[in-house]
Amino acid sequence: MSRRGVRPRPMHRTLNLILLLLALASAFALYALKYDTRRTEARVQGLERSVDKLEGEIARLMAEHAHLARPGRIEPMARALGLAPIVPRQYLRVGAGPPAVAEAPAPARAQQR
Amino acid sequence: MRRSDNAACSSDGAVQPARRPAVPGLGVRALRVRALLALTVLLLSFAAVAAQLVRLALQSAPRLRMTMVEAAPTTWARPDIVDRNGRLMATDRAVNSLYADPQIILDLDEVIEKVTAVLPGLSAAELRKMLADRSRRFVWLARGLGSREAQTVHELGLPGLGFRTELRRFYPLGPLGGHVLGAVSVDNRGLAGIERMIDEEGLAEPARGAERSMRPAVRLALDIGVEHAVAEELRRGLKQFVAVAAAGLVIDARTGEIVAAVSLPEIDPNRPADLLDPELADRLTNGTFELGSVYKILTIALALEHGLVDLDTVLDVRRPLRVGSHVIRDHYPQGRPLTVREVFLYSSNVGAGMLALQAGTERQRDFLAKLGLLEPMRTEAGNVARPQLPESWGRAETITIAYGHGLAVAPLQFAAAAAAVVNGGERLTPTLLLRPEAPPKAERIVSEATSASLRELMRLGVTHKAGTGRRAEAEGYGVGGKTGTAEMPGRGGYREKSVISSFLGAFPMEAPRYVTLVMLFEPHGTGETRGRITAGVNAAPVTARIVERIAPLLGVLPRLVQAHTPAPGTPPFDAPPQAQ
Repeated sequence: MSRRGVRPRPMHRTLNLILLLLALASAFALYALKYDTRRTEARVQGLERSVDKLEGEIARLMAEHAHLARPGRIEPMARALGLAPIVPRQYLRVGAGPPAVAEAPAPARAQQR
Repeated sequence: MRRSDNAACSSDGAVQPARRPAVPGLGVRALRVRALLALTVLLLSFAAVAAQLVRLALQSAPRLRMTMVEAAPTTWARPDIVDRNGRLMATDRAVNSLYADPQIILDLDEVIEKVTAVLPGLSAAELRKMLADRSRRFVWLARGLGSREAQTVHELGLPGLGFRTELRRFYPLGPLGGHVLGAVSVDNRGLAGIERMIDEEGLAEPARGAERSMRPAVRLALDIGVEHAVAEELRRGLKQFVAVAAAGLVIDARTGEIVAAVSLPEIDPNRPADLLDPELADRLTNGTFELGSVYKILTIALALEHGLVDLDTVLDVRRPLRVGSHVIRDHYPQGRPLTVREVFLYSSNVGAGMLALQAGTERQRDFLAKLGLLEPMRTEAGNVARPQLPESWGRAETITIAYGHGLAVAPLQFAAAAAAVVNGGERLTPTLLLRPEAPPKAERIVSEATSASLRELMRLGVTHKAGTGRRAEAEGYGVGGKTGTAEMPGRGGYREKSVISSFLGAFPMEAPRYVTLVMLFEPHGTGETRGRITAGVNAAPVTARIVERIAPLLGVLPRLVQAHTPAPGTPPFDAPPQAQ
């Protein structure tokens, strides 16, 4: 082996330089990517937390709605407004009555909700 | 390559200088320094690893002990409970629970003073007892605090106090449906009712923190609207007839679904301690009662089913029945022989006794067994109180059971049996959960013809001018039923003034969709009832009011006897009241 064989040729040197730069560049890219991933992860976690929080909030509001819409509270209010349970006189067979009052309220729905 | 070069260097380097150094421009000394440097770095890093290991080994012991001392606080996440229309009846809510670490508390007196000032529910003495033991590391102080209370405690800034979020069951409807729902413990485990079923079925899962259950909601057969209407009308009846307690039940006559089950006084599932109060027990399932004349439905069904009589067979009921020293008489003696139809109509004890005797003890017992009245019953909410059977079942018991004394069963169990007689004759299994599909073909208990006869009788009991149940008529809905006034057993016999008056009804009677049972416990005579306490004057009108309210909710259309054609000049039904 001669010394000449050991010393890198100019072409090799350029290639090495390019490779080094590439390695550096990819290292930076990797770093940036990793940083980005971390940030995204943090965002995902934040979103998951807020989803949990919102779900809890939804559950709380549903419970509150159910509490406020409980029949024991609605009934006195409805009665105060002059409403009362439907009576048989309020039902009409279609075609039996005059058109003005033929639009009897739907039997069950009107009361159930 | 290089290693072999180096080896060559070092082995013969002392004898003769290296012909070609491994790295051009560096001497042997420099190489040694380099190797030493590398070695030092390696050694240092190994030392660091070793040090870290030692540190971990030393530290892990106390941390392990701490987790042993601290009770692992888990709560249970439970699925929601909704009614048949999906309306929320029970849900889990995240709450803040206050705990203390007595070891860290600096000034015990200060903590006690400040915490009791903010949370008046805590007693100072109790708090001192809990916090005095300094060896403990975890003590619950107050569980299930609202966010505002938690905030004020937090703002005290006391060391040694902390919060954990956990799940707490919340029943937004308050006492409505309380007996069916049951209640949960402070750790959110089911104690009774449907809540216990949820635990037994493994639907509740341990949860850390406030993580809600992901399971679908448990859907009950109850309808909140109907439940409320029944509770309201019972409450009104309770007040009107000055009764001690009341109970009401609405069962789907075809599927066995319990659409409403109310027992007054109610329990509030938000207060689990209510479960312990015997006064608040569910009278529909937790107690057994002799229900009196409503049993005559079963007695007449028995006689008809065995072909012993038909509705027009005449029975001579003028002579009272003798059982030992006891004489059984009728409450409304007619002074003439009665047909079976009239026995039902006038609620003749003698007639019912005669029919039962005609069938015989054996057949009576078999019939009641077939109806499921002699076996303990179970619903999803747990066991129903066991039937109280007579010690011996002889002639006397045959007669008394015929009119509802001597055999005490839970009202729910009786209603299910009566529903089977009314619904065309098929056995009915009550359920608190919504049946996703039609129930499988049920066992036949009485023939279609017997069932039809009973339906005719029950309707007659309401429409006939002498019927005991005529106050149960709800216009258009074709209510039918039977009254029952049973004297309550007291010391040394029956107490005449204390009765349970009940009305077993069904509507619409020609093809019953719902079976109702209304019970008033120890009603008093009032001016309105002219001092009477019989079911015809109290339980029957309450049933009428209940049916009028719930039929529209359940989608049962009133029968329009004739097309409604308002006379000229009559305002429409929805005109404001002052216009009428």
